Amino acid sequence: MLEIREVSKTYDGRAVVDRVTADVAAGEIFAMLGPNGAGKTTLIRMITDILRPDSGTIRIGGLAPGDVGPAEIGYLPEERGLYKRSKVSEVLAYWGQLKGIEAREAKVRAMKLIERIELAEWADKPVQALSKGMQQKVQLATALIGDPKLLILDEPFTGLDPVNTQMFEQILFERRAAGTTVILSTHQMNKVEELCDRALMIHRGRVVLYGSVRDLRRRFAEHAILIHADAPVPAVPGVRSVLAQDGGYKLSLEQGATPHEVLRELLNRGVAPDSFQLASLPLEDIFIKVVRDDLGEDTPVPEMAGSR
Amino acid sequence: MKLRIKQALIIARREFLTTVRRRAFLLTAIGMPAYFAFVMTMAVGGSRNEGRDVLRSFSSLGVVDSSGHFAAAPAEIVTDFRSADNPFAGGSSESESQSFHTSVRHYASQEEAERALRAGEVSQVLVIPADYLERGAVRRYSSNFSLFSSADRRPVSSWLVRGMLAGRTDSIIARRASLPMAEMQYYALNKDGRFELKDDRREVLDLLVPMLFAMTLGLCIVVGGQYLLQGVAEEKESRILESLLCLVSPDELLLGKMLGLGGAGLTLVAIWLSVGAFGLGTVALAVRPEIPIGLVLIVIAYFLCGYTFYGSLMTGIGSLAGSAREAQQFSIAFTFANFLPFIMMTMILAKPNGTLATVLSLLPPTASTAMLLRLTAPGSDVPGWQVALSLALLLVTAWFTLRLMSKIFRVGLLLYGKSPTFPEILRWMRA
Repeated sequence: MLEIREVSKTYDGRAVVDRVTADVAAGEIFAMLGPNGAGKTTLIRMITDILRPDSGTIRIGGLAPGDVGPAEIGYLPEERGLYKRSKVSEVLAYWGQLKGIEAREAKVRAMKLIERIELAEWADKPVQALSKGMQQKVQLATALIGDPKLLILDEPFTGLDPVNTQMFEQILFERRAAGTTVILSTHQMNKVEELCDRALMIHRGRVVLYGSVRDLRRRFAEHAILIHADAPVPAVPGVRSVLAQDGGYKLSLEQGATPHEVLRELLNRGVAPDSFQLASLPLEDIFIKVVRDDLGEDTPVPEMAGSR
Repeated sequence: MKLRIKQALIIARREFLTTVRRRAFLLTAIGMPAYFAFVMTMAVGGSRNEGRDVLRSFSSLGVVDSSGHFAAAPAEIVTDFRSADNPFAGGSSESESQSFHTSVRHYASQEEAERALRAGEVSQVLVIPADYLERGAVRRYSSNFSLFSSADRRPVSSWLVRGMLAGRTDSIIARRASLPMAEMQYYALNKDGRFELKDDRREVLDLLVPMLFAMTLGLCIVVGGQYLLQGVAEEKESRILESLLCLVSPDELLLGKMLGLGGAGLTLVAIWLSVGAFGLGTVALAVRPEIPIGLVLIVIAYFLCGYTFYGSLMTGIGSLAGSAREAQQFSIAFTFANFLPFIMMTMILAKPNGTLATVLSLLPPTASTAMLLRLTAPGSDVPGWQVALSLALLLVTAWFTLRLMSKIFRVGLLLYGKSPTFPEILRWMRA
């Protein structure tokens, strides 16, 4: 769906985006990660044709961003706002028209979206009468109108209450089920783990992580297992240390030992664990580790943050 | 990205409708003419009534004649007052006339006359010295003073003439000598080579037409430009632009805004003109001012070029400024340039082909209003090449400004939280 090849953008002699290459498949929810100032927004602006790359190519469904119809891309930017004095329905219908939908049809679609985001009674109210969270839902609707094939959401959950966060997530899943490709840029790593299939992390304009969320977590997994068992854990071959933690045990493995061998040894010694899982780093810790490694700093990764 | 006119027209429609539906627009559209009508009524009506009131209260004149030449002067002064020949009054050329009578009382000494004045027995005292014929000096004493009217000067002057001639010539000559041009018709050569009767209404219109044309043009350009400035600055402030720029190119956004908000500016001025035409209707019907079609075409050409120049400048400023207020502050110098010819209007109208008027009408920032003042000034004859050169210079400048501001607009729109430095702006222009 989206192909990014060796894309670079330079400001004042500084590479804000530096030879970034990535692919986003149709129908996946793809995370775009990176610390502030990493170049995410610049990359998104190049995908949406607001900016042009200095070098490299971007293709959306095989077309250059400038050749893609306005209805094909829905964009919820981090820097967002609405026409405060206009009615909610008017704002959405206007966005629909700019996406190439005829005026009458745009009004119909606007009303459907307003109902979907549960703001039907606010349709004829000016935007400024809405709460911040409600305005954010309207903003999401401006990205959704026209049923885009590529939906780019930059920090969509900021400032939302849990109920509306859940609604946003449901809408994302609905869109994915309908074949929409979603690019999600966020600092909320738990949302990435919950929602995203794959992730791209950039730091100082360069790609520092790229792959499926599961693979990334596996790659950064600790050589340890977590078990919950009623009986105390005895010393078994292959286990370097045992640490009681969160009502269970964390078993750090020796070099060359495998989790399966350790599990077998435990069962042989009469310990039947209630639960058994690999100890892996949460994405947030991976994020911090990768950024610090890239900066050449020591990375005090937390001893244990639980398996998710 | 290609320039998609359809996208620009959708933006133009929205910009136009949301602007003209605003309460502030309606308030300005109706409030401005109402304000001017109020000011004009107070100014014109006030001065008319002032003259009438002064003559009405001038019921008696005390005279201390030390020269001895006014013993046979008339004991009463009759002054005809003709509504100040107000050009805005009614469709009839006949003006309303009213006569005021002032009785004359002689006093032996100034002290005695002053006493009568203080006692309210007379309205004014006129002291005529013994050497009046040689020096022409008189002294006038009054119990009150009118700042704005000298209507009481005419009856005193008329009485002095009739007084000096009394007994020396017949009364008809004496009366005429006191008002030698009570009725005068003044003919001036018009552009067709014929002598045309000049009247006060025509003269007022000769002054008003160039002012109205240039003022209307200047207002159209400035109002449209200010809407652009505000619109862009507000959108930038409210962070709408990034979402919009995903759907339309900066050029489409710029074109749409210029069309929509320029249209709103034109609508506002059209409302003012309609109200003004209604107000001046009776005078215009009586005098039938001729507005050549060529002039109308020139006005349209100047509006298009002037608005493109000024509007693109305002758009660039709006996209650079951090807030609508900051944008307003930056725009003041350019707005001032557009109205500079009005500050120098008397010089331009006095010498429409002089150096100052010519230079101002060629300089792009002042060309639109200055050339219109020159073209419509009474007795002006602007060479065709100057109009062509002025328009060509304005057109070229407008085009370059549009291109440069379009580049600034592209970058400035996405610049949040900081104002760019001058070298940065120059770099964007060169990009």
